[in-house]
Amino acid sequence: MTTTHKTDPTDNAAHKQKGVLSGIRVLDFTWKTVGPWAPRLLTHYGAEVIHVERAGGFDDHRYETHRSIGTDDEKPNHIQGGKNLYTDPYFNTLHHGKLAISLNTRNPEGLKIVERLITQCDAIVENFSAEVFPNWGLTWERIHALNPKIIYMSSSGFGHTGDWKGYRSFGPTAAAQSGLTLASGLPGQPPAGWGYSYLDVMGGWMGGLALMQGLLQAKKTGKGFYIDYSVTEGAMTMVGPYLLDFQVNGRRTRRPDFPPGNHAIFPSVAPHNTYRCSGADRVGQYWWVFIACETQAQFEALCALMNQPGLALDPKFATNEARVKNQDALDAIIGRWTRARRRYDVMHKCQGAGVIAAAVQSAEDRVEYDQQLHHREMHPIINHPDLGDVAYEGYPVKMSRTPAFVHGRGPMLAEHNQYVYGELLGMSETEIAGLRERGVI
Amino acid sequence: MSGVYEGLTVVELADRRNQWAGKLLSDGGARVIQIEPLKGSPGRWCGPFVNDKPDADNCLDYWFNNTGKQSVALDFARKPAQDLLRQLLARADVFVESTRPGTLAAMHLDYASVSANKGLIYASLTDFGQDGPWRDYVMNDAAHLALGGTMASSGYSDPTVTPIGGKGNQAWHMGCAFVLHGITVALFDRMTSGAGQYVDVAIHDACGIGTEGAVPHWMYFGETMYRQTGMHANAKRVPPLELPAADGKYVMAINQALNNRTWNALLDWMDEKGVTGELRDPKYQEEAVRTAEYRQGTLIRDSIRKLIAASNAEDCFHRAQNMGISWAMVGSAEENYGIPHYEQRGYWRNVEHPQIGRAIPYPRGPFACDALGTEPRGRAPNLGEHTRQVLTQDLGLNDQEIAALAAAGVML
Repeated sequence: MTTTHKTDPTDNAAHKQKGVLSGIRVLDFTWKTVGPWAPRLLTHYGAEVIHVERAGGFDDHRYETHRSIGTDDEKPNHIQGGKNLYTDPYFNTLHHGKLAISLNTRNPEGLKIVERLITQCDAIVENFSAEVFPNWGLTWERIHALNPKIIYMSSSGFGHTGDWKGYRSFGPTAAAQSGLTLASGLPGQPPAGWGYSYLDVMGGWMGGLALMQGLLQAKKTGKGFYIDYSVTEGAMTMVGPYLLDFQVNGRRTRRPDFPPGNHAIFPSVAPHNTYRCSGADRVGQYWWVFIACETQAQFEALCALMNQPGLALDPKFATNEARVKNQDALDAIIGRWTRARRRYDVMHKCQGAGVIAAAVQSAEDRVEYDQQLHHREMHPIINHPDLGDVAYEGYPVKMSRTPAFVHGRGPMLAEHNQYVYGELLGMSETEIAGLRERGVI
Repeated sequence: MSGVYEGLTVVELADRRNQWAGKLLSDGGARVIQIEPLKGSPGRWCGPFVNDKPDADNCLDYWFNNTGKQSVALDFARKPAQDLLRQLLARADVFVESTRPGTLAAMHLDYASVSANKGLIYASLTDFGQDGPWRDYVMNDAAHLALGGTMASSGYSDPTVTPIGGKGNQAWHMGCAFVLHGITVALFDRMTSGAGQYVDVAIHDACGIGTEGAVPHWMYFGETMYRQTGMHANAKRVPPLELPAADGKYVMAINQALNNRTWNALLDWMDEKGVTGELRDPKYQEEAVRTAEYRQGTLIRDSIRKLIAASNAEDCFHRAQNMGISWAMVGSAEENYGIPHYEQRGYWRNVEHPQIGRAIPYPRGPFACDALGTEPRGRAPNLGEHTRQVLTQDLGLNDQEIAALAAAGVML
């Protein structure tokens, strides 16, 4: 499925760079966060991903933001078609390397175009509610009939069968229902959850894995199939040991001493906590460093660093078992040591002595001061026609023979209509103009 | 069932960081041979244990993360064990390891030393990857959540309270997701090229891109995220969405739309609980008006808070969902058992456990897809359960050679 077409020097399309998935074409009906991640991940390998947006449709990452990165305007930018319509910063991350077309799927003519595109793609992905595709007539049977080799993945909160198939979900919904949200927090306090929406991010990465697995299996068998990906079911595989602990020992995660904050329980080791350091971030949140000792040697090294070698001989702290029992007292001692110190200084000194230690890093910290991410080139620079060079988040898989890459910004709305409708589907200028007039694209 | 990884032989060097990746390879049908030290993988000793009694063969965390694998126990600090591992790698499709960078090179087991097997996909999942200034720093899962950015976004709205790293080894899971990407795509490539390659994934890199809008917001706007109790971190403080219900559980009241159907159903429910307040005012029949009130005002949010406080969490979940709102109950992992929805989807797969004389329902895995065939292929192995089998059948050792290895303390 390789295609030749004119190359625009500012074009963002990842498939123009050769990769393992060159020649693979994906039709992408995703929106919000968990959906877009999955096909986005294929762009790092050169797949051609066509993101379909319904003219007048709603994706809050595209439209709903208090500022546009193009204009820095305080008001939402709802104007479509302008070069500054390039709204939420995260959209640029979630969709980079993709193509974008506009298409009115509520129009029968628009649906015909979807069907034509399906015949030309290797995979189709959506994360609508379960009824949307069937309402368009796009059941798996129909998709399969149009293209027997295509993989269709629906990504949803609860899956497309069962009592809850009509239930709606976002990352926080899936995290809450799966048991993940409850696995984060201080004892006796409300669940702390996963701040950013872990299940939108990790959920999308697992969705990307499903697509890669699907492409591999289809390459082996030559047959297409349907993947019913439930993000909540995926999340339940990330709390597996708790499921077994309940089955075998009857121990619940809904219990007074769980979750244990930043303490460790399986295995119980101490110290294992965050400790306040000197300073605070730009919005007044204190700075912290995480420290843990998993071995006696690490604890002795920490005591030496704190200039309190006697602690390792104190019966209250001499063994891990004693430290776990007295860990509040131990935390207080370590906290007094870190309190006046700089978090990176504590981290590097501890690490120099072989002790587990990590500054609690914000986005600013990781972008500006993280020497390791810098060394690993995890924030590559990409050109954007409105903004010039912009730093992006990289992709963490380094392959020796067929390198993965980050190629291209997020697409502008309808940026690739000409390529997809004109070159891919072979429509004439007149036909495309007609579609535009009739509100199909 | 022919799984996506059927027919592949994977050698996995036992480590808590990579074992979930190996499990998903096994669940997909690969034969996964886990090489463990004689005292067992660290994954066997973390707990929880059956009846809380520490035992290498009765660690539940290990059971979950090692379904269907084979266990070969060898002292690979010793040269004869290293030679056996080298022979296994000469015929393997995939190698997964998480040793400190440089460890395997010293044993002549690095990629360069074993890449005579042209098809081998050699995947290293380590804390920081194979290079960089922090390469040799020592970490655990929580340390990655701190350094990688998860913690800074997770916790409580009070800026003086510690950020929180959640439980369940999620940093390692994030690393595993990417190493599986690399392996799977390398297998895709190998089908045409015939060639394997080296895959280097750092858990820190993986966590580092996992904080949603936090990095783009810093890059584009210079904004810092506030931690908010049980909610998304955000550059602006927003009212709470994680709300306590009448039964003491919490409801995640994430609202995305208040269309007419949803609004009227919500008002009926509020009427039942006597918490409607002024919301029957006809002006709120205008979607734009109530949306503005929800976003900027307190009336709707107050009524929702009271509504949830007067209802049970599970009722909130179902009733809201049936109205088209994506609310959730903050449930516990174990509360997923017995829910008809998951039974209907065939989510639970029984795995026999002779140790306790019965089967346990395990999750099928993330994807419902017969064609991928991913599900647990059997219980986790006992320590060294397959050592003899692998040495005789795969490597062709005879009884005398095995006796000599055992006598030398290289194997159990």
